[in-house]
Amino acid sequence: MNRTINLAAALLFALAAPAMAQDIKVGTIFPLSGGAGPDGQTVTNAVKLVVDQINVKGGLLGRKLVVVSKDDESTPAVGVSRANEMIAEKADVVIEGWNSPVTLAMQPILARDGVLDITAVSKSDLILAGETNPYAIRINSSNGFDAAVIAKYVVGTLKAKKVAFLTQNDVYGNGFQTAVEAEFKKLNFSGEIVTTEKFAFKDTDFRVQLTNLKTANPDAIIVTNSSNSSGLPAMVEQYRQADVKSAFVGAVGIMLTTVFKVAGEANNGIVSADIYFWDLPPFNGIAESNAFAAAFKKAYGADPDKSAALGAAAVQVWASAVEATKSLDRKTVAEAIRGKTIKGTVFGDATFLPNGQLQPRYVVFKVVDGKNAKLEALPQN
Amino acid sequence: MSAIEQNHANSKPVQRTAIFIVLAATGFFLPKLLGGTSVAYSTLTTIAIFAVMCYGIDIVLSYLGEVSLGHTLFWAIGGYTAANLSVKYGLNGWSTAFATVALCIVAAGFLGAVTLRTREFVFSLVTYAAAVVGYEIAFNWDAIGGSDGIVGISALKLPFGVATFSGATQEDLWPVALTLLLLTLVFIARFRRSKLGTAALMVQMNPALAASLGIDPRKVRLAVFVLSAPITGLAGWLYAYQRAYVGPDMFETYFLVLMLTAVVLIGRRILIGPLIGTAILIAQQNLLSLGGDWNKIVLGSVLALVLIFWPAGLVGLFRNFGNVGLKAKE
Repeated sequence: MNRTINLAAALLFALAAPAMAQDIKVGTIFPLSGGAGPDGQTVTNAVKLVVDQINVKGGLLGRKLVVVSKDDESTPAVGVSRANEMIAEKADVVIEGWNSPVTLAMQPILARDGVLDITAVSKSDLILAGETNPYAIRINSSNGFDAAVIAKYVVGTLKAKKVAFLTQNDVYGNGFQTAVEAEFKKLNFSGEIVTTEKFAFKDTDFRVQLTNLKTANPDAIIVTNSSNSSGLPAMVEQYRQADVKSAFVGAVGIMLTTVFKVAGEANNGIVSADIYFWDLPPFNGIAESNAFAAAFKKAYGADPDKSAALGAAAVQVWASAVEATKSLDRKTVAEAIRGKTIKGTVFGDATFLPNGQLQPRYVVFKVVDGKNAKLEALPQN
Repeated sequence: MSAIEQNHANSKPVQRTAIFIVLAATGFFLPKLLGGTSVAYSTLTTIAIFAVMCYGIDIVLSYLGEVSLGHTLFWAIGGYTAANLSVKYGLNGWSTAFATVALCIVAAGFLGAVTLRTREFVFSLVTYAAAVVGYEIAFNWDAIGGSDGIVGISALKLPFGVATFSGATQEDLWPVALTLLLLTLVFIARFRRSKLGTAALMVQMNPALAASLGIDPRKVRLAVFVLSAPITGLAGWLYAYQRAYVGPDMFETYFLVLMLTAVVLIGRRILIGPLIGTAILIAQQNLLSLGGDWNKIVLGSVLALVLIFWPAGLVGLFRNFGNVGLKAKE
């Protein structure tokens, strides 16, 4: 009896051993259920796609890559459990993060056990502060860069003299406004900030604020609103109804598909910026981006959005660093990314700051046809 | 009723102490017995912390018969106190624990006094409103962390005279979590036999009898509610050190549903009920997970089924089977 068991165990081990010794594990932790589920699935799909592409080319360090994907349910407590599971399954890298609180909760867990951790989307500044993870890496843009591009557009391109803020009253909205004001100082902005109107994340009625803004009549209104499925479309509609003449300048990354779907043509003329559009320059001139967009459409039947590009870039950056250093060690790989430039990603040449932040390239755009989500890239000077 | 029966059943102090020591020692080596992996340690530490969290709401639910939807407030008070005091002022674990207990008593005293005249639905609603207010404050007030929360909570430091315990990893924190759990169990066991515990049960089950004995129901309700808060608060306190990050998510329904389900699942007024309930729920989420949406569907269905068909919890179900078995033998 015992011998049979031993034999069976040995057989199992022999079968499992080559796979265990060779495969490199790429872990992903994103929300796969609930409200943010579709977004998390997009990032995960992009990761899987790029991993498949690497495997087709013969893998990494001569070894095959496998993806282990987990659902953080947008809940920090669940994310922590998933991070612990990644440690137990000996993931060689974990690509994670849609919500900042979930990322912030997982970071110390992964860092304590020496797992390389790449944050794809979460935007909080604390992620790169180094207190929880000294080897943090983030692909999505930071609020500081976002504020700079918006400030530059308003002051440089629009040459606005009177500016107003329509700000979401929380860390995101207020933080963004503070950062834009700091950028104004750097640009020696000679005009004035005529008014600041605030609202809560859950608000859907902005008529009072818009009436005040109409009275103040600024050249540009800088808007933060991260409620892209209800609050922002409502705001855009009401902005049109109130017939405000000031330019509506949306903060980076708020004009998403859902806004176009709900508010349609009311979006026409709105200016905003983001860090990836597969069909707009400079990205439609990058070979890797075109190849990725084509493969993504073929595999999933949809155009890749920014979230997909962030997932893809995370894998590409990590794989290049692993290939260059011939190592999977957290510190070695992280040091080959932080403060370095990595070629051949969907973002083109990806340059990282010493703190692990990817230097983003922005597309400032104007909505031409909101109903069909058609955008036009604006020249940046 | 069952509580009183059980008290008579094992009222031999020596025997009880011996069993307790054996259980405590086994508990200490449990993660080793389960393989000693980091997942074993982190899962068991989490179960211990969450179980303590549940015991706070348990005494309100079991002995006052009221559903508090505001215990996430005390859970968050513990987390935020530990995080803020240790990160900003470098205070050690004893000080942050003491502050947690003090703040929980103040908050529960206020909330308990406000809800003194409310019963059932209104009580639940008011306690829920308190948690919502707490969430909004935590989310919007940058000085205590704001919507991003607080990072960089250092290792838990507990000075014992000459030596200092310092723990950051799950392995280090396991003895602390276990000790907190055992102390909570002892406390709850004593509470069940205490004058307050029996008075609370009497007020809930037989208000007329309580009144005839001169028991002031409002005093009893307030005392039990205030007593429950620091238990959940101390769980939140240790959770802050375990996770090294505290944010407004501590007010999330995830924790509230976990607390209520863990208590109701096994059955009210059973000493180790909340512990077993927590262990089942966490094990399901971590080891037998069906994915986010399905986990919630299963959890919700289990809660509904238990409440509809076996209001006394799973223990009630087994008791029914037991009765059937006995009858069959007869």
